[in-house]
Amino acid sequence: MSTVVAPSTMRVTSARRRTVTRAAIFVAMVIMAIVMLYPFFVMLIDSFKTENQYLAGHGTSTQSWHQLTTTMPVYQQLLNSTIVCTASIAIILVVGVMAGFAFAKLQYRFGNLVFLGMVSAMMVPLQAILIPEYVNVAKFGLTNGYLGAVLVYAALGTPFAIFLFTTYFRRVPDELIEAGICDGLGYWGVLWRLALPMALPAIATVTVLQFIQIWDDLLVGLLFLQNPAERPITVGLAALAAGRTTSIPQLMAGSLVSALPAMIVYLGFQRFLVRGLTLGIDR
Amino acid sequence: MAEIVFDRVQKTYPGGVTAVTDLSLAIAEGEFMVLVGPSGCGKTTALRMVAGLEEITDGNISIGGVVVNNVLPKDRDIAMVFQNYALYPQMSVGQNMGFALKVRNVPKAEIDRRVREAAEILRLTEYLDRRPKALSGGQRQRVAMGRAIVREPQAFLMDEPLSNLDAQLRVEMRTEITRIQRLLGVATIYVTHDQTEAMTMGDRVAVMRGGLLQQVATPQDLYDHPVNEFVAGFIGSPPMNLIVAGLRERDGSLVLSFGNQEVTLPASYRSSHTLGPAVGARVVFGVRPEDLQLATGDDHVRLDATVDLREALGSEKLAYLSFGDDAGIVENEAAAEDGPRRRRSRVVARLGARADVHEGQRVTLGLNAAHLHFFDVDSGASLRDGAHEARS
Repeated sequence: MSTVVAPSTMRVTSARRRTVTRAAIFVAMVIMAIVMLYPFFVMLIDSFKTENQYLAGHGTSTQSWHQLTTTMPVYQQLLNSTIVCTASIAIILVVGVMAGFAFAKLQYRFGNLVFLGMVSAMMVPLQAILIPEYVNVAKFGLTNGYLGAVLVYAALGTPFAIFLFTTYFRRVPDELIEAGICDGLGYWGVLWRLALPMALPAIATVTVLQFIQIWDDLLVGLLFLQNPAERPITVGLAALAAGRTTSIPQLMAGSLVSALPAMIVYLGFQRFLVRGLTLGIDR
Repeated sequence: MAEIVFDRVQKTYPGGVTAVTDLSLAIAEGEFMVLVGPSGCGKTTALRMVAGLEEITDGNISIGGVVVNNVLPKDRDIAMVFQNYALYPQMSVGQNMGFALKVRNVPKAEIDRRVREAAEILRLTEYLDRRPKALSGGQRQRVAMGRAIVREPQAFLMDEPLSNLDAQLRVEMRTEITRIQRLLGVATIYVTHDQTEAMTMGDRVAVMRGGLLQQVATPQDLYDHPVNEFVAGFIGSPPMNLIVAGLRERDGSLVLSFGNQEVTLPASYRSSHTLGPAVGARVVFGVRPEDLQLATGDDHVRLDATVDLREALGSEKLAYLSFGDDAGIVENEAAAEDGPRRRRSRVVARLGARADVHEGQRVTLGLNAAHLHFFDVDSGASLRDGAHEARS
C-alpha cells in the first residue's frame, strides 16, 4: 500500500533538511577555522612570555618584543622585505600586463607557441634553476644589493602573471578594443586607458599572490641578499632560530611581525582575489 | 558630413579567403545605406574596411573625397556602433559618451555640453551617472548611439546594432535610429542580415552575397525589380515563390507550364522581358505571396492547389500550398544561409485576415499575372529588360 504525502509536509521536510545541512557545513567551517587560526593564537600568546614563563606555561611579559627590536634590526629587515617585494611585483605587473595584452589581443606569428613557452616556465621549480641562476647573478655582481634578488623574484613570478593577464584580456571583447581605436586611441592608449582599469581584479590577484610568495620566501633571500644590511625579515628570523640560544617567545614575536604584512595585504585585496582567481570559469 | 565611396574594393585574408570582391558603391552625404545579406556575405568586412579595422587588399575607399586606405582609424573621423555595444564597463554613461572627445583633448565644458545634447536626443539624461551594467539592453544601445553622436563625425557605421534586442524593442529602436539619422543628416552605413530592417530603415539597400554586391536600390525598387533570383528570394517575408516552368508559345501567346498547371502570360511580357531565347526551354518564374489570392470571378489566371499548412498572423493568413505535383518549385537559395539550394520551399500565398482556408483544403487561386518575375534558369539573372543596368 502506498502512502500519499501532502505537499506541505514535503516542503517542511526539505526545509528542515536544508537547515541541518547548513548547520553541518557551518560547524565544519568553524572547526577548520580553529585549526587554521590555532597556530596564530599560540604565536600570539607565546610571544608575550619570557623564556621562563614559556617553559613554566603561565605568565605574561612584553620582554620578548623588546628583545626582538634590540637584538636584531627588525625594522631594517622589514624595510628590506618591502623594497624587494615592491620592486619585484612592479616588474612582474608591468611585464605581465603588457605581455598578457599582447598575447591576448595582438595577432603575430608563433604567438601561441611563445605563450606556451612562457607559461611552461611556471612548471620549473626554483630549486632546479637555483645554482645556474646564482652563477648568473653572481657573474653580474648582483649578489650584493637588492637587484639580484628582485630580478630572480621577477623572473619566477612573471610566467604566472602573464598567464593570468592573458586569460583576463582574452575575456575582454575585441569590439571594446576596436571601439577604443575608433574613439581615437592607439594600442598603448587602449592598454593603459581601457584594458588596465578593467584588469584591476587580475592586478590585485597577482599582487597578493606574489606578495605572499616573495615576502615569505627564505631561499632566494638567503642566497641572493648576502649583505647583512639588506637581509629580508625571513632571513633575519632564520638567523634568530639558528642561534645557539634560541628564544622561542622572541621567535614567535618575530614570526608574528613577519606574517602580519602578508595577512594585511591578503585581507585588503581579498575581494578582488576571489574574482581574479575564478577568471574564465564563468565564460 | 561626407560622401563615402568604395571603388573596386577587394578584401582577401592571408589564408586566401576572399571576403569582398570588386565592391563599388557610393553613399551620398546624409544617405542611410543598408548593407544586407546572409552570414558571411562580406557586409561586415566592408563596414570594417571603412572604419579602418580591416586593411584593404585592393581598390580605394574614400571619405569626403579623401582616400583613406592608409589613414589610421582614429584619423578617419567616423563613429562606429557595435553589435554588442562595446561600452566601457568602468565608465559611467556620460563618460562613455564623452570619451572620444576627452581623448581628443576637447575642453571639458564642450564635452559636457555635447554629452547633454546627445543625452537629450536619446532620452538618456537621467542615466548619465549610471554604469552600463545598470542599464537595460535598449538603454545600452542608446548609449552606444550617443557615443557616436557626440563625436559629430563625418559618417556613422553600424554593425547589426539591434540584433541583441528582443523583437519589440528592435522595432522601437528601428524607428529611433532612423529618426536620429534623419535629424543629424550624417551619411550612415548600416549592416544587418535582417531584411525587414533593411527595407524599413534604408534610403537605399545594397544586397550582398558571397562577397559580391548583387543590387543597390531603394527598398521598393529592390522588392519590385530584383535583378536576380537571390535578391528575389532574400528580400520579402515570406520570400518570393520561385517556380521552374516550361515556356512555350501557343496561339501567339506565351504559356508557362509546371506540374499540371498552365499560365498564359499577358502580351506585355514580350516587350518588357527577354523571354524569346527561353521559349521551348525552361525559365524560373517568381510570384510574390501577395500576388496569389483566393480566386474570384475576375481572375484570368487560375491555379488549383492544396493547402498544406496555414499560419494565421492576425492581420493576414499565410497558406503554404502544393500543386499535387511539386515538380518545378525551386529550393529557395536565399533562405538557406548555410549554402545555396539546400532547403525546399513551398509556394506560399499571403491571404486576407478573413480568408476561409484550412489545412488539406483544395483551393483555386487567382494569380496576379501583372506582377510576375522571370529569371534565367541557369544564371538566375532577371530576364527583365534593363535589369542588368539597374544592378548598381
